[in-house]
Amino acid sequence: MSIVERERARYEISIMKEIIIYIRRKLSVRISLWVVLFAALIFNVALGFLFYQSREAVRQEAISHATQILENTALRVESILNSVEVASNNSKWLIQRHPDQPDSMMVYSRSILLNNPDFYNCSIAFEPYHFKNYGRYFSAYTKHVGDSIRTVHGGSDHYQYFYMDWYLMSQLLGHPCWTEPYLDYDVPTNTNEMVTSYSQTLTDKQGKVIGVVNISLSLSWLSQTISAMKPYPNSYSIMIGRGGTYFVHPDTTKISRETIFTQTIETPDTALTSLGYAMQRGEEGMKHMIIDGKESYVFYKPLGQTGCSMAIVCPESDIFSGFDRLRRTIIAIVTVGLLLMLFFFIRIITRELRPLRQLADDAETIASGQFDVELPDFQRIDEIGQLSHSFGNMQQSLVKYIEELKDTTAQKASIESDLRIASDIQMGMLPENFPTKADRDDAQLYATLTPAKEVGGDLFDFYFRDEKLFFCIGDVSGKGVPASLFMAVTRSTFRTVSAQESMPDRIVTTMNKTIADMNKTHMFVTLFVGVLDLPTGRLYYCNAGHNAPLLVGADINELPCNSNIPVGFMPKWKYSLQEAQLSTGTTIFLFTDGLTEAMNADKAQFEMERINEVVVRALANQQQEPRQLISQMTEAVHQFVGDAEQSDDLTMMAIQYIWQQTDLQTQSIVLPNNTQEVPRLNAFVEEVCKTVGLDEMVTMQIKVAVEEAVVNVMRYAYPLGKSGDVTIEAAHNDQRLKFTIIDSGKPFDPTIQSEVDTTLPAKKRSLGGLGIHIIRQNMDSINYERIDNFNVLTLRKNIFNKV
Amino acid sequence: MKIRIEEIDGNVVATVEGCLDTAAAPEAEKVMDPLNYVEGKDIIIDCTDLEYISSAGLRIFLGILQNAEDRGGHVYIKGLNEKVLATFALTGFNNIFEFI
Repeated sequence: MSIVERERARYEISIMKEIIIYIRRKLSVRISLWVVLFAALIFNVALGFLFYQSREAVRQEAISHATQILENTALRVESILNSVEVASNNSKWLIQRHPDQPDSMMVYSRSILLNNPDFYNCSIAFEPYHFKNYGRYFSAYTKHVGDSIRTVHGGSDHYQYFYMDWYLMSQLLGHPCWTEPYLDYDVPTNTNEMVTSYSQTLTDKQGKVIGVVNISLSLSWLSQTISAMKPYPNSYSIMIGRGGTYFVHPDTTKISRETIFTQTIETPDTALTSLGYAMQRGEEGMKHMIIDGKESYVFYKPLGQTGCSMAIVCPESDIFSGFDRLRRTIIAIVTVGLLLMLFFFIRIITRELRPLRQLADDAETIASGQFDVELPDFQRIDEIGQLSHSFGNMQQSLVKYIEELKDTTAQKASIESDLRIASDIQMGMLPENFPTKADRDDAQLYATLTPAKEVGGDLFDFYFRDEKLFFCIGDVSGKGVPASLFMAVTRSTFRTVSAQESMPDRIVTTMNKTIADMNKTHMFVTLFVGVLDLPTGRLYYCNAGHNAPLLVGADINELPCNSNIPVGFMPKWKYSLQEAQLSTGTTIFLFTDGLTEAMNADKAQFEMERINEVVVRALANQQQEPRQLISQMTEAVHQFVGDAEQSDDLTMMAIQYIWQQTDLQTQSIVLPNNTQEVPRLNAFVEEVCKTVGLDEMVTMQIKVAVEEAVVNVMRYAYPLGKSGDVTIEAAHNDQRLKFTIIDSGKPFDPTIQSEVDTTLPAKKRSLGGLGIHIIRQNMDSINYERIDNFNVLTLRKNIFNKV
Repeated sequence: MKIRIEEIDGNVVATVEGCLDTAAAPEAEKVMDPLNYVEGKDIIIDCTDLEYISSAGLRIFLGILQNAEDRGGHVYIKGLNEKVLATFALTGFNNIFEFI
């Protein structure tokens, strides 16, 4: 393909595309095209059928017409031939009655032609020397010359007729017969003529052959006669003899020179050959074939007993010329009609759809936010009118709904803003500073809370009091604002109650009573409260219907939990206490059911199994520190949940116990529970401080604190008048100085006494509570433990940088 | 521990010496009991030689102050050393007593 052709092809494709786009954009064009295409299809089918039927009819008509003509022509030819035969027979009878009168022969010969002007010539020829007077040759030969008839003697040494075919054939065959065409040479006029003759043998009474009557017909005349009868202007007739030789043909050069088969020698033509054979066999019929490059119908028929056959060749174009003209005219009319129809349809539909165009423009204007566009009134009751009406209604509704939507959006924004603030407040309630091993040497922890909505019902809390870590994790039933309010109440109740109590069972029991008393909504909270005694690693806990935490140490265990009911609906429930011993390095992993029930898009839950897998992996990778553990768990949950919406609040808390301290030196003193022993105590404390190397001020602070603590024990641990011992142990390392005060009296926890207000005026100051206040102020920590029926009170002072 | 009460320039002056710890407190309270009945005079507690005080001692001082204030009198603390003042300070007593 050349460049020019390629460019041309590309140009044509682009034009096609533009046309298709135009059709797609124009509804009127599209509908019109469909209608016209459909009409064209119907016309096509109907006209096709009509044309087919008409053509058949025309063909049948042509066949019958041609057959008729052929029939007539054949009849005419037969009648001519017949007249020849009749004339021949009549003259034969006359001649045979007077076979010896030569002059009569001339008369007979003349009279035959006289009576039959169509005949070409006539010879009554005799055997040599039949008439002795006339010598060897006698032939009465008559022929038309112009308008007259001439009769002469034929035969000479130059023309010995009795050797001619026409003379010999009937004798040889033994009956009268038609000769093959031959050239008749007329001596007087020196002219040639193609003729065919009917020859009949003459016999004498004994039956001996005496001569021949021969009557000829001019083939050109016969041809003209036959060809005069033509059904169509361009049709023509042919006639062939026994051997297939043309007797009649429009091309006169072929007559007697060529046979019907001549042509097939050069270019094989089975149709023509079979036609030739059929005609030779004397069959009658019709063939559709190509002759001289034209589709033609050939009708053929034998001519009586002559052995000849004639055919009429009718070119198809002739037969159907009228029909084709009619068809072309009809197709032209239909095409023009369809084009006009297309044109008017497009015009009409475009006009009918014009209001739609305007509505579309108005809709665009409205869509751009301009709602007050005035819609046109089309004054129509059809579908477009209805659409226009509906459109107007929609416009009004839109204006109304937009107004409502504005209000709703404003309200929603206000609620959302409130919720955001609520969320901030709620998050503000949760501890934000998580101690790491850089901050503390006893425990490090980390926690996260992810609410499903702005505010949630999960909670966690922790704080250090004295040498104890108080912590809790909980999950309020339900979600959203109600749960968040309940969560806030629970969290503050935990703070209030745990300030007064050190044992988780008592904390939870008190919290339950407080919350249940004011709970009118029948909400509840599952709660796990733990108190970790840092010096000993003793964990006290109470589980109120919450998920059991995992203990991640050398191996992974679920912390055994009693089945206590959740907090909030049975004020009289007594919660049970449980204990466990933690070894250094152990991590407690706490969580809410938002972790176990975290759902992915397939509604599958995260479940305990996966939590365990993550923990096992973390442990294997030495990643069990709180931040690492929670970050790995968070990552695993995110990966599992994928794009699914968070279904519940999710809270995790991990606490690692990292106590590593060892005390170096230990001194002790045992005193009876008598306050008069205080000077001994003070001397002991002074001695210890001196050993450690503390200055007077710090020594003084420690002395007062220890005195207050021991006096407290002496006064309150033993019932009045009952004596007992108080053991005071002192131990220290580089960091701290520790005093442990042990007695076997009744359980007494001095740390839960309420604080004194040191800002009050003298009148309002109480005489009590000063001791514990002084201890807290002078020491860095105070811690109470009840261990095996002993009260164990531990006071610690940081001495780093003080020595 | 030694306590001496005398009247100087129209004021009742209690001089406290030594350690006022829990063991010494009952005795000290008994000795200082007359201060609770002082009328129309200011009380000066001279702590120049007070070496140590615990909450038991502080409670006695507070009792004296509350009684004196009931009668419209004043209690002044005199000559408190640094260490003992620290204990006064951490209990808020430095705010309720007047020091000279």
